[in-house]
Amino acid sequence: MTNHWIDIKNADAILIMGSNAAEHHPISFKWVLEAKSRGAVVMHVDPKFSRTSARSTFHVPLRSGTDIAFLGGMIHHILENGNYFKDYVVHYTNASFIVSDSYGFRNGLFSGYDPRTSSYDRSSWSFAVDAQGRVRRDPSLRHPRCVFQLLREHYTRYSLEKVADITGVSRENLLRVYEAYAATGVPDRAGTILYALGWTQHTVGVQNIRAAAIIQLLLGNIGMAGGGINALRGEPNVQGSTDHTLLYHLVPGYMSMPLADWQTLEDYNRANTPASSDPQSANWWRNKPKYLVSLLKGWFGEHATRESDFGYSMLPKLERGEDYSYLYLFDRMYQGLIRGGFIFGLNPANSVPNSNKVRKALDNLDWLVTMDVHHTETTDNWHRPGVDPAAVKTEVFLLPSAHRLEKEGSVTNSGRWLLWHYAAVKPPGRARSFGEMIVDLGNRVRKLYRSEPGAYPDPILKASWPEGYDADEVARRINGVFTSDKVVNGRRYRKGNLVPGFGALSDDGSTSCLNWLYCGSYTQEEGNKAKRRDPRQTPMQAAIGLYPNWAWCWPLNRRILYNRASVDPQGRPFHPSKAVIAWEEGSWVGDVPDGGWPPLSSGKGKHPFIMTVHGFGQLFGPGRVDGPFPEHYEPVETPVNRHPFSGRLHNPCYKAVTGDLDRLAAPADSRYPIVLTTYNMTEHWCGGGETRNVPNLLEAEPQLYVEMSPELAEEKGIRNGDPVIVESARGRVEAIAMVTVRMRPLRIQGRIVHEIGMPFCFGWTTPGCGDATNRLTPSVGDPNTSIPEFKACLVDVRKADRLEELAR
Amino acid sequence: MAKAFLIDTSRCTACRGCQVACKEWHGLPANRTRQRGSHQNPPDLNAYNYKVVRFHEDLKGGNIRWFFFPDQCRHCVDPPCKAEAEGYVEGAVVRDEATGAVVFTLLTAKLSPQACEAVRSACPYDIPRRDEKTGRLTKCDMCIDRVAAGMAPACVKACPTGAMNFGERSEMLKLGERRLAQAKKVYPEAALVDADTVHTVFLVPDPRVDFGPPPGIDLHAFLGEPRSASISEPSLR
Amino acid sequence: MKMSRRDFLKATSAGIACFGLAQLGFDLEPLRAYGARLKISGAKEVVSVCPFCSVSCHVVAHVKDGRLVNVEGDPDYPINEGALCAKGAAILSLTNNPHRVTKPLYRAPFGDTWEEKDWEWVLDRIARRVKDLRDRDFLPTNGRGQRVNRLESLFSLGTSHMDNEECALVHQAMRMLGVVHMDHQARI
Repeated sequence: MTNHWIDIKNADAILIMGSNAAEHHPISFKWVLEAKSRGAVVMHVDPKFSRTSARSTFHVPLRSGTDIAFLGGMIHHILENGNYFKDYVVHYTNASFIVSDSYGFRNGLFSGYDPRTSSYDRSSWSFAVDAQGRVRRDPSLRHPRCVFQLLREHYTRYSLEKVADITGVSRENLLRVYEAYAATGVPDRAGTILYALGWTQHTVGVQNIRAAAIIQLLLGNIGMAGGGINALRGEPNVQGSTDHTLLYHLVPGYMSMPLADWQTLEDYNRANTPASSDPQSANWWRNKPKYLVSLLKGWFGEHATRESDFGYSMLPKLERGEDYSYLYLFDRMYQGLIRGGFIFGLNPANSVPNSNKVRKALDNLDWLVTMDVHHTETTDNWHRPGVDPAAVKTEVFLLPSAHRLEKEGSVTNSGRWLLWHYAAVKPPGRARSFGEMIVDLGNRVRKLYRSEPGAYPDPILKASWPEGYDADEVARRINGVFTSDKVVNGRRYRKGNLVPGFGALSDDGSTSCLNWLYCGSYTQEEGNKAKRRDPRQTPMQAAIGLYPNWAWCWPLNRRILYNRASVDPQGRPFHPSKAVIAWEEGSWVGDVPDGGWPPLSSGKGKHPFIMTVHGFGQLFGPGRVDGPFPEHYEPVETPVNRHPFSGRLHNPCYKAVTGDLDRLAAPADSRYPIVLTTYNMTEHWCGGGETRNVPNLLEAEPQLYVEMSPELAEEKGIRNGDPVIVESARGRVEAIAMVTVRMRPLRIQGRIVHEIGMPFCFGWTTPGCGDATNRLTPSVGDPNTSIPEFKACLVDVRKADRLEELAR
Repeated sequence: MAKAFLIDTSRCTACRGCQVACKEWHGLPANRTRQRGSHQNPPDLNAYNYKVVRFHEDLKGGNIRWFFFPDQCRHCVDPPCKAEAEGYVEGAVVRDEATGAVVFTLLTAKLSPQACEAVRSACPYDIPRRDEKTGRLTKCDMCIDRVAAGMAPACVKACPTGAMNFGERSEMLKLGERRLAQAKKVYPEAALVDADTVHTVFLVPDPRVDFGPPPGIDLHAFLGEPRSASISEPSLR
Repeated sequence: MKMSRRDFLKATSAGIACFGLAQLGFDLEPLRAYGARLKISGAKEVVSVCPFCSVSCHVVAHVKDGRLVNVEGDPDYPINEGALCAKGAAILSLTNNPHRVTKPLYRAPFGDTWEEKDWEWVLDRIARRVKDLRDRDFLPTNGRGQRVNRLESLFSLGTSHMDNEECALVHQAMRMLGVVHMDHQARI
């Protein structure tokens, strides 16, 4: 989230799209309803009328996978009706940037597309620069090649008629949302967009969010109280575990994982450190070398020296363009290319698409270490229904894990707050925390490499690795320490002292830090700030529900990101009664500003979007692999075989694995005429491994269901409560029919398209509750993130004459 | 001072925090339930659920409506269950004058099944349920232990949206009027239900909505489940 | 310093005499003293964070004699202000749960049962598996002769259930081994 949970109450308009906030983040609705009580309009745009819709001002159903059409129509509406916040757009976004002549867009394809590799050469999506290397701008926004004009031209095609025709949303409903939301394009009103996996889990996932970001920039809603682009992060510490990066393509702190082409630290820095010719651009990532070297010092300690490239050479290096994410991992596992591995508290046998293939793939492992609190479909895959354990070679370990209340440490909420939790009780039996297990295991591997020869032992033996697990000690390592005596801002620090903030991190080896974003969270002066429980706030902070002394928030306790965009170039808040920051008597008050520089008008200020190279919000976003502007493409499995915006049916760059079990339905496939979307639910958690084992939750939601409209049920001869079979090109699943008026048939291109929805939390280890919905979903994904398209695929549904998976 | 619940269903999101918090505080075991085509589960109040969130949906004039009703004992000012029970076993049902809580005591175990049925029938809201194992009558006890200790009932404590409220009765009635005025802007038919005669006052958007059995569900027909939900120890593998 | 809401609740619940539900009979008086049997009176209070969605609601765990007896929302955390949804409200039975795995379990190749093992045995055996696999499959260079230090045949998945401190160590450990197939809930 650019903002935070409490801040939702400051919004004048709330667009919940790609999220079912009331069901999946129930406490968020405390703040949504607070805003609504104060007069905010709350809009829910979603295929299903859910508990979120029930408490919103109104609900608008749309077909899964047509969000860009919907949002593109809103961009068109905002531009054509002049609803944008002109000063903000001119001063703070790249609307005025002149795009180079090489950029173009034609019939669904941007310039630079190579059909052989299904990818773009992005070099043509660049800006025109002057002799000093600065981007050429036209603040009048009239230049035919400026971003603003290209944006207008791009979305001219997104008329109400076309959008209505493909999304299934009526013109009236489109206008109802567009007008209510576009009304926030004035200085003293703010709109927030709440999204979640309903936007990310598409082959156009990143561009869904880009479209929302464009709207927020046009309306001047980024940086404002009650504004922002707010990802309601899903799992319990998914924010922190993303920051600390349990992902292949990054190292902690959102820095790229080294590639084979970057053999030395110098290569890495050259390729990854952006440069700006504009003295008013903070270009914050220019500091990246300091953060990387400090990370290497954290990893290799005394072995990280300037002479050794700080240990950079010891790191693994990825192949450029190679994908090591779930989809490809399980495909390689299925092919027998993966031999062993660790699964910590995750249930991929239930929660990764095409579960039938995933389950078979797991059988190909020589060994598998699982760590969990309960048996799950993954830990017990070797004796799943229909499989003879005597035929499964895998050696499986199941290590009993401590739960949250049984250990201490920190987690990071969706608003980036760092929160300490204390151990209330001991873990049951011999269960241990993940931390204890990994430290102990690491030490055993190190011992083996010390005592016997082995492959390239250097990174293992030279690692700075703790003797035992102590969360507090690791929290200090994360914050970072000085590795030698040093004076920072006139204050003397001794070797081993905590680094006060990331401004003090250095690329000379004098600091070590496991994550620069968390630097400043644990200081000599104030201790572990995740433990702070002080509700004090100034009246200005109280007016917007800002709690600067409660816990700590990355970066540098800044609660609302890009808050310099909430003030005019003189430092005066656009919205005085909900001011985030203000320049008063020579200093900033309110939130921690994005850098302490004076306001822009002083000539010594910086552009507000400090993490972008040029310092401007990116209406034109050349960084994504599939286009600088979002464009509507159909889901890989779609009930239509054409759409009104171009002749290009699918995202030309989407990712997919192919194999005998990766069958896909054709566009408008008559065998699978129904759209399926999948979701979480309030009473269960993700793959369900934990919550199905909690009797009081299983009582409330005991079995797999499929929500469908009475119209579809009538067509199929299904009554409410009937057992049914849902079938895709990849698998079949039993479910109980929940026939409900909350699912509406949609009129698409003049004909009725039905959509149904199913939760994915049920699995066979809980008898009679049903089994993985993800046996239906395809292994295709977004080209930027490889996030699978869980939200839209094709199925058929029919009445079942008997129950097997649901028999109880 | 007399206490009261104000349950503003116009703010309820059916997160079921109240339903589960009640079970957890009272240490109530889980029923073995089935999916019957509704989110309402367990389908009804029972000896192990003093609180059940009921769901009602309809489609009127192109508008979908979905209402939630966290059902529980109303703690009547003049409780008919108490009057009925006293005919069989004195002290089986007591009313705490201080709080207004109507509490089923251990003496309800001395009521015959027929007497229990009579007590249930006397209840205008069909709240009491007999625990077949212990023979006791059960229902919401206003978390009288928590209330006596100055704490809110477990369901109220858990509620995120201000749907569940608890406090001095006079304050709750005032809050109810304020909330009603607000709710009427969206739901012109909204009303406070039986505010004068109960200590659990519901604010409902549409008093005509019948939260009876879940829509389309025949509780008896589907796979022959008996009416009184049976408890079973979880046995998973 | 202002008294927190939770301190206030604690203060008002002090000093109540001791009676129990079992003593409830004809007399109404014990009803008012019923609070004395409050299952959390005298319990140690420990602040933790709900293990589900990333609102990260705070909870207060009540612990008596080392045993968890109650969990409810922390009224002082300014986001949830004491509230919890169905999942959060079930943390007590999530933690005190008969289905928890409490001992290291081992399933031999082609075996049909879980066997209970001690930690020494399983961790030593896993360490051996890791080293054997790494020694066998470690890829020092790629086809173009570039140094890549990869162990492609060993993967790591999960988890957003880890604390930040645990994540930092898992990432480090995997990169030291050369693991590149690393992913977690952020992508699904």
